[in-house]
Amino acid sequence: MTTLEQKPAKAEGRKDPWSQLLDKVGKHQDREAYHALFEHFGPQIKYYAMANGLASHAEELVQEVFVSIWRRSCLYDWRKAAASTWIFTIARNQRIDMLRKMQRTSAEMQVETEDLWQIPGENENEPVTSLHRLMSERRIRDSLKHLPEEQITVIAKVYMENKSHQMVADELDIPLGTVKSRVRLALNKLKVILQDQNV
Amino acid sequence: MTRHHPDSLSLMEYSAGNLSEPHALCIRLHLDKCPHCRSRVDTLDSLGAVMMEEQPKVSVSESMFDDILARISTEPASEPVTPSLPKVGVLQKLLGEDLNSLPWKRQLGDVSVLDISEKFPDQKEQVVLQKLAAGGKAPAHTHRGEETTIVLQGAFADQKGVFNQWDFVVLTDQDEHKPVAVGCEDCITLSVLSAPVKLTGTFTRFLNPFLR
Repeated sequence: MTTLEQKPAKAEGRKDPWSQLLDKVGKHQDREAYHALFEHFGPQIKYYAMANGLASHAEELVQEVFVSIWRRSCLYDWRKAAASTWIFTIARNQRIDMLRKMQRTSAEMQVETEDLWQIPGENENEPVTSLHRLMSERRIRDSLKHLPEEQITVIAKVYMENKSHQMVADELDIPLGTVKSRVRLALNKLKVILQDQNV
Repeated sequence: MTRHHPDSLSLMEYSAGNLSEPHALCIRLHLDKCPHCRSRVDTLDSLGAVMMEEQPKVSVSESMFDDILARISTEPASEPVTPSLPKVGVLQKLLGEDLNSLPWKRQLGDVSVLDISEKFPDQKEQVVLQKLAAGGKAPAHTHRGEETTIVLQGAFADQKGVFNQWDFVVLTDQDEHKPVAVGCEDCITLSVLSAPVKLTGTFTRFLNPFLR
């Protein structure tokens, strides 16, 4: 009715449902919201673990990710990252951490996983506005539908199977240059990359 | 102001979590100082999230949520995360406060090196710090394999341009360069080498300074 009443409603509207739930967990330790996030993201993370060679530790990874979500949720800021993006980076970091701990030969790790891999929103004064990041997420979801299968396959192997571009090339038996050009084409279409240099 | 950024393919491998630790370190050091690349990585992280969403889902065991609740209720948060706490940077953690006072090994004239590969015990790459004295020149050399470099202090110039603090550059066996330290500070770089450096030109009779 009045602009004063519309403004907060509009701002709320920019939050997708998962980000709203995560926001509640962070602000009020809301266990129902936490459970809803678990129902939605738990099965995704379990698949992620299995695809990444952690089949026998898949449930363990899901647990670690959710404990970490709970502990860090007070730092979550929906203006800086969508819940799905934020949770993806936590899952990635926990996956890296678990593999490091399983594979390491030395007792001490001088560098912590999170010294190397960051979570969105960690840096202060991020120039990314909520509108910008919301648009980029929607754009990615929409444009992904129009990408040729061969490009999606390559991206999926990189993100879901922990494979370097070289490993993808070997597996698909195509030159490394072809893999790279497929990735570049896809990232261009997804507008992830507008210009690589001179920005 | 950084001018030389990692390419989008490297940022994607970073976002996917597929880089080796030394390579991830180079990207992370650049990201900490480059809002532009942070924003690119944020977008790539969103791509990761969308990819995860598009994949099949695998149901989790029924008791798991209760297990998680039990853990978060009983376990004390091992590291309470507070945003205000000043974090010790990874560089400081690895190398201490002052890069200039590290146990540098003087090599050819203006060049000093320090191999820090042992700080990454499970990694196969060689990780070296190189220091070029202010105004100094390094001998011409090419690279076998690939060398990823980030400038930690000062600046250097070669035929490709000027590389300032936090600039990022990847050199391959196609690139022969002859860096010169510019500005009034010693130029210190961190490099990750997939294979040893090969000296070219008149300096080849000296020991390879980049490897000891």
